[in-house]
Amino acid sequence: MKKMNFLRKKHSLALAIALCMAVPVTQAGDLNLSGFLSVGGGMVDDENSLSYGGYDEEDFTFDDNLLGIQISGTVAEKVTATVQLTARSENDYQVEAEWAYLSWQATENSKVRAGRLRTPFYMYSDFLDVGYAYAWISPPREVYYLPFNNVDGVDFYTTATLGIFDTSFQAYFGGFDDELDLNGDGIMEGAKTRNQMGLAGTLGKDWWTLRAAYHQADLWVDVTSVAMPVFGTLGGFADALASNGLQDNANKLLVDDDSATFAEVGLNIDTGRFVAAAEYVEFEAEDSLLSKNKRGYVMGGVRFGDWLVHLTASQSRDEESHPEEGIPVAPQTAPIIGALQAVAVSQVVERDVITIGTRWDVTTGTALKFQIDDVDDKNQGDQKVFSVALQAVF
Amino acid sequence: MKNYIRLLAATLTLSIASVTWAEVAVIVHPSAGFDSLSEEDVARLFLGKSKSFPAGAQAVPINQTEGAAARDKFNEAICKKNASQYKAYWSQLVFTGKGTPPKDAGDDAAVKTLVAANPNMIGYIDSSAVDASVKVVYKIP
Repeated sequence: MKKMNFLRKKHSLALAIALCMAVPVTQAGDLNLSGFLSVGGGMVDDENSLSYGGYDEEDFTFDDNLLGIQISGTVAEKVTATVQLTARSENDYQVEAEWAYLSWQATENSKVRAGRLRTPFYMYSDFLDVGYAYAWISPPREVYYLPFNNVDGVDFYTTATLGIFDTSFQAYFGGFDDELDLNGDGIMEGAKTRNQMGLAGTLGKDWWTLRAAYHQADLWVDVTSVAMPVFGTLGGFADALASNGLQDNANKLLVDDDSATFAEVGLNIDTGRFVAAAEYVEFEAEDSLLSKNKRGYVMGGVRFGDWLVHLTASQSRDEESHPEEGIPVAPQTAPIIGALQAVAVSQVVERDVITIGTRWDVTTGTALKFQIDDVDDKNQGDQKVFSVALQAVF
Repeated sequence: MKNYIRLLAATLTLSIASVTWAEVAVIVHPSAGFDSLSEEDVARLFLGKSKSFPAGAQAVPINQTEGAAARDKFNEAICKKNASQYKAYWSQLVFTGKGTPPKDAGDDAAVKTLVAANPNMIGYIDSSAVDASVKVVYKIP
């Protein structure tokens, strides 16, 4: 029943905005249509080691495909409606409304938008699915790992020139309902944010841009069905803790109305000949089993005519949570403390990834990319991923 | 046959010459209240970083069609981007709702006609196509 509700909500919003747009289609005809696509595949070096970037087979598979269409039209003076629909191979090409919003041009340099928006978590968030817009096949996964990329809400976006600098500022408020496959078994668990809000700002000049963002939200992720030894599931473990007077520790285990924060700083450089980018992010969800995520990457590249060669070093250095806090240390409590610590440690990612890749601009609007990711995971072993993609905008 | 080859050679020489030497002129409506713009002013308008002329009036930049010699020269000289980089730059803004690229308006003649008829527009054409219907505010040698 819960699942049905999530789905229904997504479709009704998309439909509502699509209906809004049907009006100018028939009347004014001032409609902008743009699209992007990515067709790609890859393989891993060792299928007995961890899967990475969606690949776990030693045979080459062409299964990383995406088609997106963005339609925007004028609804009234200074009001436009925008819908971005995507179909992904990983979702059996089921069409989803990635974005659907109404935008009001409040002044020449600022606008207010309402609907489903892209959350400005990262430097590349706005055009995350538009591979043609950047060097990699997809941005570094160590940093671009958050499962919710969109938010249903309102935002304010403004640009200004401060002295010799170009600046932008964005603030938003909203929430999001989603489903995540936590066990990797195809069964979806519910997740949502409420009172989600954030700020993002950029400062730039000619060939460089600095960015910083901060977000906070009340976070729910239904982790109760996640499997664990002895108790069967995390939910069973939390119940056992609660019935033994350890309600506090049960709360510190589950992700149930916990205050979460996400901070980002980034730098982007493009001189024409040289490109570089770096981002660092920190995520924390208080009183939950989720680790404090500390992740970053540094990328540098050089253009030779229609070719771009780039090298990226990414890193995850998570810090485990402490759901066992407050339990007096004694021989009787040692197994419980041990079990709680084991759950916390299982959430930690410590990984280094070196990525080397090329982008070849085949024609204006089409790029062919090759990429090798060399993954060194402290807990799960090593892996190499070879991938290729043809990415276009139209 | 000989004449034909000579003609071909001459055309070839001419076309090479025009690619290398053709001056591109940035043009606005003759009624514009300014006589020149800096390279940076022009770049900011065509990269969506600014939406009005330095004097304050709203500016509507228009491009020539993709592949036009004047467009490639303009993008390289003013925007410091080749055709692919220019496309990638705008795809970062288009799919965010944060900007709309200048419309592709056609060739020298089409751009000149549009600019001559619209006081807010700014475009660029081969210098040889300039006449009294438009005002030149910047020249790319």
